[in-house]
This record gives sequence, structure tokens and C-alpha cells, in this order.
Amino acid sequence: MVVVLLPGLLATEAGGQKRFELDAATLNEALRALPVSSLILDERGEVRSLVHVYVDGERERDLAAPLTPAAQVRIVAAIAGG
Amino acid sequence: MGVQLLVGTRKGLFTIRGDDERRSFEVQGPYLKGWTINHAVSDPRDGVLYACTNNWVYGGTVHRSDDDGATWERSENLGLPEKSGLKLASTWHLEPGHTTEPGTLWLGGEPAVLFRSEDSGASWEVNEAVLEHETRARWEPGAGGLITHSITLDREDPKKLWIGISAAGVFRTEDGGATWKPANQGTEACFFPENRFPEVGQCVHKVLAHPGRAGRLWQQNHCGVYRSDDSGESWERLDLNGLPSGFGFALALDPSDPDTAFVIPEESAENRVTCDGRIGIYRTTDAGVSWKLIVVEEPAWAAVLREGMSFDDEAVYAGTQSGHVYALRDGEVVEAARHLPPILSVEAAPLQ
Repeated sequence: MVVVLLPGLLATEAGGQKRFELDAATLNEALRALPVSSLILDERGEVRSLVHVYVDGERERDLAAPLTPAAQVRIVAAIAGG
Repeated sequence: MGVQLLVGTRKGLFTIRGDDERRSFEVQGPYLKGWTINHAVSDPRDGVLYACTNNWVYGGTVHRSDDDGATWERSENLGLPEKSGLKLASTWHLEPGHTTEPGTLWLGGEPAVLFRSEDSGASWEVNEAVLEHETRARWEPGAGGLITHSITLDREDPKKLWIGISAAGVFRTEDGGATWKPANQGTEACFFPENRFPEVGQCVHKVLAHPGRAGRLWQQNHCGVYRSDDSGESWERLDLNGLPSGFGFALALDPSDPDTAFVIPEESAENRVTCDGRIGIYRTTDAGVSWKLIVVEEPAWAAVLREGMSFDDEAVYAGTQSGHVYALRDGEVVEAARHLPPILSVEAAPLQ
């Protein structure tokens, strides 16, 4: 199963769940399966510019990237603010 | 009856409950932590809370609570059609629809867009006529962006409403949003080097229709305070009748008196703080012929944003960018909250 890990605000929006296990062949499938997909992806289905996605510890920008069955996807918000 | 203030801030939503006398207030929250709340409102038709929620990473959306803030649902699939070439940047104002249209909501956002929901925010449809308006190329963003920040309804006719866009001006529809006509005649665009009274391009800061008198509108603009008695066909300038400045953002009306309005002038566009080193709310009770000052008697260089003032039958409420909320009446000022995050909106509703 692919594991997806969410940061705090997204986990709150997902009903308090930080970790999701799901079946997904691509990164796009994994993100769209989440209950917070509309916060990660914009209305064109593109990853929002300040959302960073890591697959097995490496930054991944290609939504079509295939996932291994044991892949770990981590969503990271860009750091800045005030 | 007590009052509930919904206070949207840069860092979450707060509620403040005030007693019958408006002398004792209790702060609750924050709700929606992590979200910037550009505006929050209680739907007078059913008491449901709505918040325009924005996050600089996750974008803009709407949250809805039918249990007074205990739990929230988020609107999904809020966005702009691909053919527009635009993406939704943020949400700014939610206006509950007409009393004859339960479940209907209007939503304004950036970049100068309007949405309508007919299912209490579960789904939204973009207003194509605003999105493709023939004058859109002449609209320029203000400091807050190119935003639809005002949506105000005619209480009699559900097909008639007005929107305010910075900096495009006021637009009116009489067919439920199928077509929109600029309604800016007489309002100045004082920042233009020439042609200061164009068809569009005015920097309206807030526009409100009075719920009790058909056709009466009030407007706080970048370049003055105005009133219209003909549904926005023409506007009369009012700030020259005794206000210290025509610049400001906040505007509130008294639903029971169409001649009463409140504004909070700021020093100038270049120095956006309250005039004369204190918080001063100016009230007219004669349709803008004259203005009377209600003042907070302490030094302050504050600012109250466009959604930051609200009125009920007992008091006028103002929330500052420095996180203070005041309840003001003649001769009496009560501090309802202090040290909140920067305040973006205040809405008063009867305490349920």
C-alpha cells in the first residue's frame, strides 16, 4: 500500500487523519484519493505552487510519476509566513 | 437580546458574545486555526456560519458550520473554468441570498470573480457575465488584489443586486446576474491623471444597499463617501460635509433607518491610519448632510478594514488591524476584545 503523510492543517481538514494507506499506481492517483485533494491540487489539477510533494524522500514534480506499492508520499507546505 | 460578533482575523475565526447591555463580552475561539478569514457571516435565514477561508499555501475556499463553530465542512471544487485562463486566488465576501431563495449564497473573490451556490455551499457556479465582462480589461487591482469584495442585495427583488470590485467599481444586475451594468456615475477615480469620472475603474472600498429603502446605496470609496437614491444610476458625494478625510474602508448601515450610516475615515491613501491620532467613527443621521464623531478617547493610529465594522440596534462594532474590538454608542465605548490577531472582518448577529 502507498502511504501518504499530511502536514497539520491538511490533517485537520481530513478529519484529524495524518496518515493514509491507499492503492495508487501514480502520484496523481494518490493525491486525488485524498479527502483534501482540492487543497493540494488547484482547479486545473496542478499541484499548488507552494505545496511540495516528496516521494520516498525525493522532491517529485511530475504527477504522472509511477509509485511503487510501498512508496511513501509526504506533503510539505513551503516554509515562510508571519 | 445579546449579540454574537463573528470576528475574522489573519489567524482564525473568533466569536464574541455580548450581553443585552453590550457592556460585557466574552471571546471564544479561535476556530479554523491556520486559515485567514477574510469574512465570516451568520446566515440570518438559518443561523449557519460561513467563513471565507484562505491559506497562502492551500488557496481560498469556504467553510460552513451548522453547529455554531464546533465542526466545519469545506466547499470542494471551487475554481474557475479553464477557458478563462484564470485561477481562483482567494475568497473575500460571502453574502447569504434572498429570503425567498433558501440555500442560495453569493461569493466574491480574486481575481474579480463572483460565484453562486444553490445548495448552501456544497457546490458553486461561477458567474460568467462578471468573468467575461466587456470592461474587464480596464479593471486594475488595488492593494488587496483585483477582488470582488462587496455583494449587496435588493431586499424586494431577488434578481437585483450590486457588487463592488477594486478597482473596477460598482456593477448592478437586474436579471439575477445574467448581465451587469457599471454603476459609477458621479464617483471619482481621483488617482487617474485625467478622465477622473470614467465608466469603470473606480476604486470602491465598500458598497451597501439599505435593506429598508429601495434604491438607496451607500459607498465608501478610495476617493470619497457617496450615497445613491436611484439604485446606483448616480451618486452624491458626502465626505465634504464634515468628514476629516474621504479615504477609508469600513462602512455600516442602520437597517431601521435609511438615513443613518457609519464610516471610519483614514488620514489618506498614503498614510492609512485613523485620523487625528485616535479611533473616530463618524455617524450621519441625515443621509450624509452632516456627520457626528464618536471617538475612542485614547491615542491610536489604527485601521479598520472594509469588513471591519458592523451595526445592530444597540451599538456599532469595529475591529482593528491591531486586534482590538470596540462596541461604541453615544458617550460610551466598551472594549470587547484585545490582542486578537489582525482583524479582517466583524459581523454582528442576534445571539441565538
